[in-house]
Amino acid sequence: MAEPRSPVSATVPQTPMGLAPPEGAVVEMDPVEYTLRKRLPRKLPKRRNDVYVNMKTDFKAQLARCQKLLDGTAGHREICIHGLGLAINRAINIALQLQAASQGALQLAANTSTVELVDDLEPEDPDEAGEPLTRTRNNSAIHIKVFYPNPQ
Amino acid sequence: MELNVTKDRCLALTAQAESTAAQPVSAPDPALLTGPHAALKLGLGGFKKVCRLEEDTPCPFPGLPSGFLEMRVKEGSKIRNLMGFAMARMQGGGGGDGDGRQGSGLRQVVFTGSGRAVTKTITCVEIMKRKMGGLHQVTKLRYKGVREVWGSDEGGGSEMTVHRTVPSISILLSKDQLDPQEPGYQPPETHGTLWEEGDGLESPQDPGKRALRLTDLSGQPQSKRVCLQGGSSVE
Repeated sequence: MAEPRSPVSATVPQTPMGLAPPEGAVVEMDPVEYTLRKRLPRKLPKRRNDVYVNMKTDFKAQLARCQKLLDGTAGHREICIHGLGLAINRAINIALQLQAASQGALQLAANTSTVELVDDLEPEDPDEAGEPLTRTRNNSAIHIKVFYPNPQ
Repeated sequence: MELNVTKDRCLALTAQAESTAAQPVSAPDPALLTGPHAALKLGLGGFKKVCRLEEDTPCPFPGLPSGFLEMRVKEGSKIRNLMGFAMARMQGGGGGDGDGRQGSGLRQVVFTGSGRAVTKTITCVEIMKRKMGGLHQVTKLRYKGVREVWGSDEGGGSEMTVHRTVPSISILLSKDQLDPQEPGYQPPETHGTLWEEGDGLESPQDPGKRALRLTDLSGQPQSKRVCLQGGSSVE
């Protein structure tokens, strides 16, 4: 064997050497290549005062949105900031910023939870006998209630 | 934000750093919380973080009986190490079978973490709640001061201290009843229900409406993601 990296084509001599698509490393783990597609987290309750923080939108825009909810014309006494996974940090940051900007008038009450997420594994090549798979995993989430204490 | 630069060769940096520090910062500015890192790394290639000291802050849970376990979660902590230790202490030396769990083992544990360790901290708490059950929880958020020392790898001598504030989380898990009026209190066994109902949901939503909105939502971003990840594969 001249080519050290093609154990697959060694076992399947019919395949022309140059065309053997899967490399050894990939083959060991997964016979078929899959595309990992993450589904959206399910069931998002959405009230007027719910804010879902993500990592795509600009931080300042999300902070401004929360601030507006609290002191706008429809000033809410409390808002709920939700963050999932990496966005937990940002959610906490926004809540703490709101509290700091209010000179201590706002209070925070945080709760944590686990969210089950589903990933779809779709075979890259439809000809190969790979079935679509799903995989579930858990991720942590935070829900921060930002509120004015003892509402009148 | 405060900067002490010991050598003159960092003049460019001081100017840059002062310009950021000059902003009116009564509360820690969001840009500063993430900004300096990138700015320092880019503007001054060759500087490395030498050490990171967290400032001491009083325990966020006053009135906690002594003898509770404090777990300080760091960025590089391994969850299996943390959980192995914490679970063993909470369940008692005997391994926690039968009434041994009630008699021995600690009653309370506090998990704290800041910056990038926040997510890991929450994950640890969630795992412990799932494994043990019947735990009351209080979550506290606040800013924490962190003093970072950055040193140059070339010159050797130059060093600088950066004071940053990072968000930090402290979570108390207790086998005993805690004050439900405390902000951030969570009763035992609320897995999964929070996300669906939201805490303090006043009016139950029309399920049909919600489902409709969900389908609207799920259509768009998914197709976007397909384009983004079209070429990628599971490795």
